[in-house]
Amino acid sequence: MSPDGPGPTGRGVDVRQLRALITAGVRLDMRSARRRRRSRLGMPPMISMLVTYLVIGSFLAISLWRTNDPFTFALLTLSAAMFMTAVTVIMEYSSVVVNPDDHDILGHRPVSSRTYFWAKIANLFFYVGSTALSLSLPASIAIGMRFGGGVPLAVTYALLALIGCISAAAVVVLIYSTAIRVFDSQRFSSAITYVHTVATLVLTFGYVLVPRMLMREGVVLEISQGRWMWFAPPAWYAGAVELAAGTPGTHNIVFTTMALGSAAAVIAMALSLVSLDYSRRIAELAATSPDVASDEHGNRVSTRFGLIGRSLCRTDEERAGYDLMGRYMHRDRKLRMRIYPAFGLPLAVYLFGVLTRSFADPFGPRPMEQGFPIQELLGFYCVFITLFFATAMTQSDQWKASWIFHAAPVRDRVGIIVGARKLVIWRYIFPFFAVLLVLLSFVIPPVSAAVYLFLTLLLSLLAFSLLSLASPYLPLSQSVEKTRQARQLGLVMLLGVAMGALVAIRETIREAPLPGMIAVVLLAFLAMLSEVALRKRLKVRLAREEFAG
Amino acid sequence: MHAIELRNLTKRFDKVEAVRGVDLTIPHGQICGYLGPNGAGKTTTVKMAVGMLAPTEGTALIEGIDVAERPVEAKSHIGFVPETGALYENLTPREYLALIGNLYHLEPELAAGRADRFLSHFGIADSADRLMTSFSRGMRQKVLISAALIHNPDILFLDEPLAGLDANTALVLKELLRDLASRGKTIFYCSHILEVVERICDRVVIINDGEIVADGAVEELKDLTHQASLEDAFTDLTSTVDVDSIVRALSDNVTGGSPAPGGGGDS
Repeated sequence: MSPDGPGPTGRGVDVRQLRALITAGVRLDMRSARRRRRSRLGMPPMISMLVTYLVIGSFLAISLWRTNDPFTFALLTLSAAMFMTAVTVIMEYSSVVVNPDDHDILGHRPVSSRTYFWAKIANLFFYVGSTALSLSLPASIAIGMRFGGGVPLAVTYALLALIGCISAAAVVVLIYSTAIRVFDSQRFSSAITYVHTVATLVLTFGYVLVPRMLMREGVVLEISQGRWMWFAPPAWYAGAVELAAGTPGTHNIVFTTMALGSAAAVIAMALSLVSLDYSRRIAELAATSPDVASDEHGNRVSTRFGLIGRSLCRTDEERAGYDLMGRYMHRDRKLRMRIYPAFGLPLAVYLFGVLTRSFADPFGPRPMEQGFPIQELLGFYCVFITLFFATAMTQSDQWKASWIFHAAPVRDRVGIIVGARKLVIWRYIFPFFAVLLVLLSFVIPPVSAAVYLFLTLLLSLLAFSLLSLASPYLPLSQSVEKTRQARQLGLVMLLGVAMGALVAIRETIREAPLPGMIAVVLLAFLAMLSEVALRKRLKVRLAREEFAG
Repeated sequence: MHAIELRNLTKRFDKVEAVRGVDLTIPHGQICGYLGPNGAGKTTTVKMAVGMLAPTEGTALIEGIDVAERPVEAKSHIGFVPETGALYENLTPREYLALIGNLYHLEPELAAGRADRFLSHFGIADSADRLMTSFSRGMRQKVLISAALIHNPDILFLDEPLAGLDANTALVLKELLRDLASRGKTIFYCSHILEVVERICDRVVIINDGEIVADGAVEELKDLTHQASLEDAFTDLTSTVDVDSIVRALSDNVTGGSPAPGGGGDS
């Protein structure tokens, strides 16, 4: 026992340690990142993220104000809140759930696994609870006012939203914690990015697509016919909200039981898996060297395929950026973990569209079916992918290594970014659209699929430039900051309104092909123009940038 | 009962055996230097001894307590300065040391007083309320050392503790370690810097390729290898290459092999 203190007990939860760890965790959550003390809005990043989510929540509440019944209102708002929460936890998994640094800092301290576990749970609940309440506060006020339930209904809605969002986070924890225990670290490290993608796909189904399906089939009005809702957790919570709003009924009681029962089960199972031992496993995972044979294989493949893309680089700096990004994308599983979930979103939409036969020729003579624009949703998520790249490609745990770009006599630092962007476009964006073209050709005429995807590709490239303008940093030169991706996810959700452009151009092409094609050419011109603007802005920005490591 | 006892300590990562059957006992009040080339297994040994890594085989006992079986009890005797320099950078030194004090159940006033004195003696009192994000490596190291000592541990594990420290602070730390040892503290000192080990350690253990290859006082190691200095003894025990030929080859690699009177690099 330590001579200067009574010492921890070693069994159960040590309350004093727990209080100290929770306080430190909240401080770390609320404080800014390594390099900039404040976000651009002049507030700490977490506050800035919560404000963004509050705006999204308000936007949702206002746009659904005219909904006829509390079930529909709750279904749509809760599905958005639960989806956003789950995706936030996926994107920021390594910092939100368990931070490998914890093991380095606490592993040799006399902290029991149980104490650590409760401290992490408290921090997770604080983080998820804050985001959930920001997203659902406007909706809870709206539902109380709109459907006459007043404060009791608003409070019940907020509580259900909180439980729902924590359950969504628990699902993510459960998936990962189980996977890391089932597989050995070598296999898991190879599979982790795909686990990410599948998790996103599953969540997209459960929290976004199935509720939309319910809406499309009108089953919210005739619940007894709604076979889909048994697979859509937000529908269970919406049933509980309707029950609280004073609409009894067997289905609402069953839904409420399912919501609360599943929440208790999922949270309990997830909680039993988080421990300091789990943190150690994560740390060991980070230390596990990649399989050399598969790495060499990957190099050969990337070299063959990458030769053409690399030939697009015009300067040594561009080639350096291209190679650096390519190697990190291949070897840095944390980088892939931050990006790959994005691919799960459009793939989920595609699978869903196929399963429900929702696809229709976007340029065909018959108008699209009302109420469920599956093509537009697919297009939106395709553009979404570029967000993940634009933000994640600037971040790395080894961000301090970027000193080399400042110390070496680099003539054109913009070229390094341009090269990295070319890698992303050539190696990931183009192939992904090629795969989508093949997939879409099975469900809509190939020519329509090609035109539609070309349109979406142009929008994606335009978004990529704009998002890079908002994040004008050298590749892998920024620290991996908690809340950064979540904030940017929130901003993109708000920018979703801009996807109206996609609908407008598609409709124009369908109605009058010539003006529609002119619009496409203009869009292409705009995409090229944005690339030029990006280079100019980067040149000014990088001339001012100093290495702060 | 020994302060530290490592029995057949072994660690395998996949197919790589990082540490192989290390047996070591260190009595109270001894400063034991643990030397080895890069990748020899020094840090892995320390991580197993402080309970951060589970050994594949063998046991680590701290004050007679098995670290694997009763980790909390064993760890409360330990102070550790890790090589990684990991700390919560978004806390201030004062907050960080208060957190550590709480983890060891120190009275808040006692912990705060000690923290202030550590920061003052290490010359970073002015930065006590600044976030550590902007700290230099040396400043962080001073906080790490303070965090390892604040609870008055019986045993100190130090993994490259002088990294980033200025000459004056390094001198202070070396003398501090000698003083602490004279007061009965046990110190396990991992380093590459042979001069420091030679100067402060009562005993030197050399590990190479995961195995202990020598163990004894500095003079004993010199006698064993028939070398005049610890540096030569270390090279004799761990190196399989001819230093002169390596230096020539590296120099040729830099200059392209041609002697260049007047200097100047490639343009």
